[in-house]
Amino acid sequence: MAAVRETVETVGEVEKYKYGFFTDIESEKAPLGLTEDTVRFISAKKNEPDWLLEWRLAAFRRWLTMTEPTWAKVSYPPIDFQDAYYYAAPKQKVKLDSLDQVDPKLLETYEKLGIPLTEQKMLAGVAVDAVFDSVSVVTTFKEKLAEVGVIFCPMSEAVQKHPELVKKYLGSVVPTSDNFYATLNSAVFSEGSFVYIPEGVRCPMELSTYFRINEKQTGQFERTLIIAEKGSYVSYLEGCTAPQRDENQLHAAVVELVALDDAEIKYSTVQNWYPGDEEGKGGVYNFVTKRGDCRGANSKISWTQVETGSAITWKYPSCILRGDNSRGEFYSIAISNGRQQVDSGTKMIHLGRNTTSRIISKGISAGKSSNTYRGLVSVHRKAENVRNFTQCDSLLIGDKCSAHTVPYIETKNPSAILEHEATTSKISDDQLFYCMQRGIGEEEAVALIVNGFCRDVLQQLPMEFAVEAQKLVGISLEGSVG
Amino acid sequence: MNDKATASFVTAFETAGNALPGAGSWLARRRADAIKAFAQAGLPHRRLEDWKYTDLRQALDKAAFAPAPEHKGAVILPETRGAVAFAGIDAHKLVFVNGRFHEGLSDMARLPKGVELHRLADVLSEQWAKALIERRMDEARQAENIVELNTALMADGMALRIRKGVRLDKPLHLVFVAADAGASHTRNLVLLEEGTEASILESHLGGKAALADIVTDIELDADATLLHAKLQDETADSVHLSTLRATLAGKARLGSFTLTLGCGLSRAQNFIRFAGEGAHASVDGAYALRAKQHFDTFSVVDHAVPGCTSHTMFKGVLDGEAEGVFQGKVIVRPDAQKTDGRQMTQALLLSRDASMNAKPELEIYADDVQCAHGSTVGELSKDAIFYLRSRGIPDAEARRLLVLAFLDEAIELAPHEKVREIFRDLVSGWFGEAAS
Repeated sequence: MAAVRETVETVGEVEKYKYGFFTDIESEKAPLGLTEDTVRFISAKKNEPDWLLEWRLAAFRRWLTMTEPTWAKVSYPPIDFQDAYYYAAPKQKVKLDSLDQVDPKLLETYEKLGIPLTEQKMLAGVAVDAVFDSVSVVTTFKEKLAEVGVIFCPMSEAVQKHPELVKKYLGSVVPTSDNFYATLNSAVFSEGSFVYIPEGVRCPMELSTYFRINEKQTGQFERTLIIAEKGSYVSYLEGCTAPQRDENQLHAAVVELVALDDAEIKYSTVQNWYPGDEEGKGGVYNFVTKRGDCRGANSKISWTQVETGSAITWKYPSCILRGDNSRGEFYSIAISNGRQQVDSGTKMIHLGRNTTSRIISKGISAGKSSNTYRGLVSVHRKAENVRNFTQCDSLLIGDKCSAHTVPYIETKNPSAILEHEATTSKISDDQLFYCMQRGIGEEEAVALIVNGFCRDVLQQLPMEFAVEAQKLVGISLEGSVG
Repeated sequence: MNDKATASFVTAFETAGNALPGAGSWLARRRADAIKAFAQAGLPHRRLEDWKYTDLRQALDKAAFAPAPEHKGAVILPETRGAVAFAGIDAHKLVFVNGRFHEGLSDMARLPKGVELHRLADVLSEQWAKALIERRMDEARQAENIVELNTALMADGMALRIRKGVRLDKPLHLVFVAADAGASHTRNLVLLEEGTEASILESHLGGKAALADIVTDIELDADATLLHAKLQDETADSVHLSTLRATLAGKARLGSFTLTLGCGLSRAQNFIRFAGEGAHASVDGAYALRAKQHFDTFSVVDHAVPGCTSHTMFKGVLDGEAEGVFQGKVIVRPDAQKTDGRQMTQALLLSRDASMNAKPELEIYADDVQCAHGSTVGELSKDAIFYLRSRGIPDAEARRLLVLAFLDEAIELAPHEKVREIFRDLVSGWFGEAAS
């Protein structure tokens, strides 16, 4: 009997979302709903200059005229945008000098997440700008970065300290009128990271931010802006986990990357928002606009993403290859289980000469989930000698899930060489049998095979993430076989 | 109704509707519903996802086709290679001039027993014809809505029914000629009963600026085989809009191939649905376009049942300011296990101003399936040209060889050796025109 109870308990543990805990911190909220006043409230809270308030209000007014996009292959009940809070900040009254002054509960949360805030973890060489709900709490490694002139700070701080940079680049890649969710974000964004790498600097460490949604009913509207000046290099890591929740949470972030001549930006994401329960109830809606602009010659932007969470993912990290010889890369693993719905992919817009792009997308659907790759490769008339290679493979686990591929290929220049390949298959019985007869359990075998399937993408991740991501692949598929 | 062309079709229906076949029958009501639905939606435009790359509304607004008149006097075929392409093939022949059956030019005597070949108007009271006309492949598919226009205005067409076990002794050749300017709406119905076999050749020719709106509804019963080859070679100021819808029962086989050389704007839609296990459909094509030609292939292969195989391949060369479009979709429904679906689109751009848009889609709801699609766009390989020139072959000839070799991979898929030869000659001739 004891053994049986133990099994039941173990299964119960597995069922629970590993990162589903809730931290009780009093927070300061904007009033429920979204009006011009909400926008003014957020702007005032952030003590923003007038031009930014006007920018937000313009976006808000435009947003009112827009309708939600419905073309994605996802379905969800209509969102009541008036039934959400658009701003929440953990109450932190005084400026902090050291970690000791940070709310211990907050630190506890980070501890559980394994964020390397403490001394010991600093040795890992990761500078963390920890975003808790909407306001940055603590930032480490600042001095070291400041030495080489790298600016890495919360967006609100950048608005105060480097308004000329923010004004110049904010909305220059994703304009306020871009799409429904990006426009909404422009109106109400509350926090995010700002990164500026000066000319010729190779950022001495991987930069990372942990985004967490904590306050109940609060949509998070992150705004990230990364600028890599001529000849610079930066690798930015973003990872997400969110507490278990019953109500759907809206997450509409905007990420803008600008790479000038010879600069390189590597942007890696591990997304692990709460996917909802067995029936798909309560998961996060992740409607994100991410775009990189290879503005200078020989620049390079590389997106790597591991998407395992969220009830709904609507995300298309893109590259505008404007500079001659610039290069865009997109490596993606999207895993869906349960009732998750993923509609994700990329856009490669080739404008400059000799621009190249590479797309590797691995979609894995299990349970009753739906997984769609949607991508665009577009070659403009003046873009000579463009080269693109696209590979999107789908793996289906079980017969209740679905996998879709929707590539758009548009060419207006004959010198372009574009290739697109896609396959759909299931885990072969032979492979599974081989693993199992070697004594590897079925779930472990599936994780092993899937990790092999994803290898091309996992290899692109920085070390710190690669290990975590591999584990995540296994965890995400728990309960999908047998 | 918010555009001129839509309004002109509605007017055409109001003035001539009563004279169309089927007046006073079930079809009259169906036509009334169809024109209403069509008028409400209007002609498709680029804001509709299924029409993302082709603006039919704009093209028809600009062309402003009046209804095609009944042709008077002798019919003179255009002096093109395409007009005589199938002349050497012994076939039963049906000729439609301006969308109307022309008895004098047709030859449909001596059909084998069990082969029933009629004009559309003669079969409208029959249940099978009604079922085919009323059949809708997918309610949600935007692209299929345009069939309503044809249903409302169809004036004539061919109806072929082959009784169980009968084989059509020689191909059936359908010739569609636009002898006068204007819009015509034609509907063809094909029912092949169990174990039958037939080949259909289609030539679409034109001397005048015309809109050819053609819908072909096909039903293949178990073990039936239909081979279909279509040549589209109308004038540069014409618009060609064709929809082929086919349902395949168990072990049925459909092989359809289209060679597109003509027309200013053409859109060819194929909707294939598997209704029985073990069936195979192959929907392929080749195209060679120049000047301001625009060609859009829209194809949906719906694997609704397990164990079927499908193949879609379109290859084309684009010169001048020509624009090619391929929108394809393979759907594998839940439980349609052991499906094998292949889809390929390849285009060669021969000029600076040519362009190609492709959207090969997969939509898969079953796990034990093999599906693959591919798409390539590029220009002629400089290395290959260099190789041929280094062997003493002049530049123009080298290019011609490479283009023909490129298209040949698709043409290989056309039914009948004779048809393949004819298509190769036509493509070769097309290239000759380009060089001169």
